[in-house]
Parts: sequence; structure tokens; C-alpha cells
Amino acid sequence: MSEQAQTVSVTLDRDDRGMTLESEKIAIEVKDWNLYYGTKQALNSVNMVVPENRVTSFIGPSGCGKSTLLRCFNRMNDLIDIVNVKGEMTLHGDDMYSKQMDVAALRRRVGMVFQKPNPFPKSIYENVAYGLRLQGISDKTVLDETVEWALKGAGLWNEVKDRLNENALGMSGGQQQRLCIARAIAIKPEVLLLDEPTSALDPISTLAIEELIFELKKEFTILIVTHNMQQAARVSDYTAFMYMGELIEYTDTDSLFTNPQKKRTEDYITGRYG
Amino acid sequence: MERQEFKNHISGQLNQNLEGLFNRILEMGGLVERQLEHVITAVQNGDLALAKEVFQLDKVINREEIEIDRLCASVLARQQPAASDLRLIIMGIRIAIDLERMGDEAVKVAKLVVKMHAADMRCNVLPGYNGLVELVVGGHAMLKNVLDSFARLDLSMVRSVFADEEKMDKVFKNAILELNNSFKGSDIDVELLLEMVNALRASERVTDHSENIAESIVYLVRGRDIRQMDSDKLHEFLTQVEAEI
Repeated sequence: MSEQAQTVSVTLDRDDRGMTLESEKIAIEVKDWNLYYGTKQALNSVNMVVPENRVTSFIGPSGCGKSTLLRCFNRMNDLIDIVNVKGEMTLHGDDMYSKQMDVAALRRRVGMVFQKPNPFPKSIYENVAYGLRLQGISDKTVLDETVEWALKGAGLWNEVKDRLNENALGMSGGQQQRLCIARAIAIKPEVLLLDEPTSALDPISTLAIEELIFELKKEFTILIVTHNMQQAARVSDYTAFMYMGELIEYTDTDSLFTNPQKKRTEDYITGRYG
Repeated sequence: MERQEFKNHISGQLNQNLEGLFNRILEMGGLVERQLEHVITAVQNGDLALAKEVFQLDKVINREEIEIDRLCASVLARQQPAASDLRLIIMGIRIAIDLERMGDEAVKVAKLVVKMHAADMRCNVLPGYNGLVELVVGGHAMLKNVLDSFARLDLSMVRSVFADEEKMDKVFKNAILELNNSFKGSDIDVELLLEMVNALRASERVTDHSENIAESIVYLVRGRDIRQMDSDKLHEFLTQVEAEI
């Protein structure tokens, strides 16, 4: 048998031809994570690892805790008074919830894009440069280069390069969302959180964002919450299914969508009565 | 996994389509089963009318395959099935291909009956006859088993299908050996002997397709692709499956 034929034969013999979390570099590690809104427990003992330079999606019915968990990754829940958390969460080994952790610094490392595009009422250029200026960067050359890099990264440069000084609110919804992604990546975070990033967009803009996500994972670790299961299937490498605050099943996307191991996952993704 | 689960979707339309697919596959399988029954009788009794019925049934079976493909494509495009629903669609397409080919193989055996009838002879005068009968009877029984298995999503008979297929391989080899030995010095027309070779090969392929269908049913029920499993792994897997039944 030729070497090539042997390789094919070995590959076909393997049971697990998909990706495995065990073989990945880890960006975020979550251990026994619990979250309470007052006395109500919203996340129940979540354990997971988020692989680096991969897209990990969270799916599940409304109220299952997926957005709540996503917001834990950059401590957005700190802004809600009644929220209490228990457990351990690390970003590249750094305890994200330690007393020494500077929350503003953490949010520079973990950027976020929301459901509705929310550009500032400023020029396209200033929207992208905003985070850099906050960091004290004022060198025009550095700003220009980074704005161009971020807009190219967000797949928007060719559309806006001749009108960088126009107000961002004049852009279409899809362009505004890509601008928000450019704004988030301009400060070069390690992780990008996307909370339903396309739910307010038309199908073509949605595809543009999905294509962008595919490109962006080369440089960033991406976590996405989506109600659209087909979107999770299309864009993510790993998918986590959540239900009533618990992480029910978390595995590579191919396996989850073709052969889920938990009945609750199967019922949800096939649209069956649970 | 139970068949009832395919009727529990929130979307009644999806329930209806998947149930339709189940029924269509069973219907197509039933037609091939009937074809093989006709082949057995036609070979044993030299029944020309039944042999011709096999040709007619093949046309209906070909149309069934197209209808199953259409239904599967429609569910894929409109309802984006996942998990077991997706596996049912993938498997539906695969089983339809296997059944259609089984139909074609049945036609090849029926052609032997037609040729023998034209030569005013019965099939039983040909070397390899007993092997041929054993193969078509065995192929028919294997198809019946896999269709039952599909109808009930029951994997308990998978091991016996694999064992039967191995047995049929041996029957085929022996029949071919018998034929080879008869080529020299036989007073039977070589063309008829070659027709017998074709019929033997076709009936052996029928058993291969039954095995393919059994593999597809395992994929549907368990999500495991066992096509490339070596025999030790397969034994281990089937033992685990049988223990859980």
C-alpha cells in the first residue's frame, strides 16, 4: 500500500476524525462556575475550557444562561448589583475574578460586540480609534495604521476608506455591526465575545459577518451566543448547549449537530418536544 | 432510539416528511423484496412471466429512488434537519441507492431465466445452480432482516446480517469454482455459462447491498459509521450494542 493510501486508511479507521478539545491550546478555563441574580441561581456549576483561535458557540433556549455566561467572560455582570458569582475563571492562566484583576484591563483583553450595532455618533475613523485613544495612543501614524488594519480585519476597509470622516450612523446596519467589530479588534484583544451579533441584520449582512468570524479566528479566540442554530453550525468549531443554567453538552460542532450524546441536546436541535 | 421520536417534532410538517420518508423507504424495500421473491420462483420453476415481472418492478423501483431523493432534498433545503433527523436523511439517500442497485442485480438474474427459456432449458441444468438458489434465497432473507431492522430501528439482527454475508461470499466462491471447472468439456453453450456467472455475481451483490443497508441503519440509530471498522472493533461495538438492547 502506498504511503498516501496508508494515511487515508489510518484516517478512516479513526473513530474521532473531528476536532477534540483535548488537543487544543486553552484560552479560558471555567471551573465550577455559579452565578446568582439575588437568590435565583442562573448558572449552575459550569465547567468548560475555551480553545484558543477557535470559534465556540453557545446555544440553548431563552433564559438558559448563555448570554449570562458570555457576560462573565469580561465581567460585564459586575455592572449588575444583585449578581454574585462563585467558582474560578482564568484567561490564559490569569484569575479573571481575583481582587488584583483590573477590570478595565480585562475588558481590553476580552472585547465584546452586542446584538444591536451601537456605533458612537462620531466619524467612522473616530469610532475605531476610540479604544486606542482611551489607551493614550495619540500618534497619528499609529492610529491611522491601526484603524486601517482593524477596518480591513472587519472586512469594511474597501467600503469606507474614502469616507472615514463621515458619521458612522449613516452606515447600513450590517456595516455598523462590522464597524463595531473593527472597534472591538482595534485594541487587539485576546478574546472576542459576540452576543447575537447578527440577529438584527439581513441574511446577506449576516453571511458577511459569519465570513468575517471565520477570518477573525486566525487572530482571536471567539465566543458567540446565537439563537440561530444553523449559524452556530456554520461558524463554530465547538458548540456548547445550555439548558436552565447548566452546560448540558459541549463538544466539536460536527459531533453535536450530527450525533449529540444527550437526549436534551437532541430534542433541542431537532426541535422536538422535550 | 424509537421510531416514535421522529413524530415528536414541534414542526408537524417535519414529522409528516420524515414519516413519509420512512414509509417510502419501506415501500421501496418491499418492492425489491417482491422482485427477489419473483427471482427465486423464476429461477426454480423457469417461470418467464415472473422473470418479466422483475423487469417491470425495476422501473417502479427506479422511480421510487427518484422520489426518495426528491423528498430528502426538500427536507434538507426547507427544514435543515440535525442530529438523528439529519442522519435519517443521509441514510435514506444511501438506502435508496442500495435498494435501486439491488433491483438492477435482480434484473440480471432474471435475464438468465429469460435466456434459458429462449434456449428451451431450465436453470437447474447449469453448473452453479444450487449456489445461485442459495444466494438469491439468502439475499432475500437478508433484505427482509434489514427492512425489519429499519422499520423497528432495532440493531439486534445486525450481527447475523454480517455473518450471513460472509456465508454468502463462500457460497459464491464455491459456485464460481464449480462453473470454472465446467467450462472445459461442457456441452452447454458458453454464452449461457457466462450468463450464469453474471447471475451469480449479481445475487452476491444483493447480499453486499443488504450489508450496506445494515451499516446505514447502525449509523441512523447510533451515529457511528462502522463501514471501515476492523472485525475486532466491530465485534466489540456490536457486543456493546447488543448488551444495551
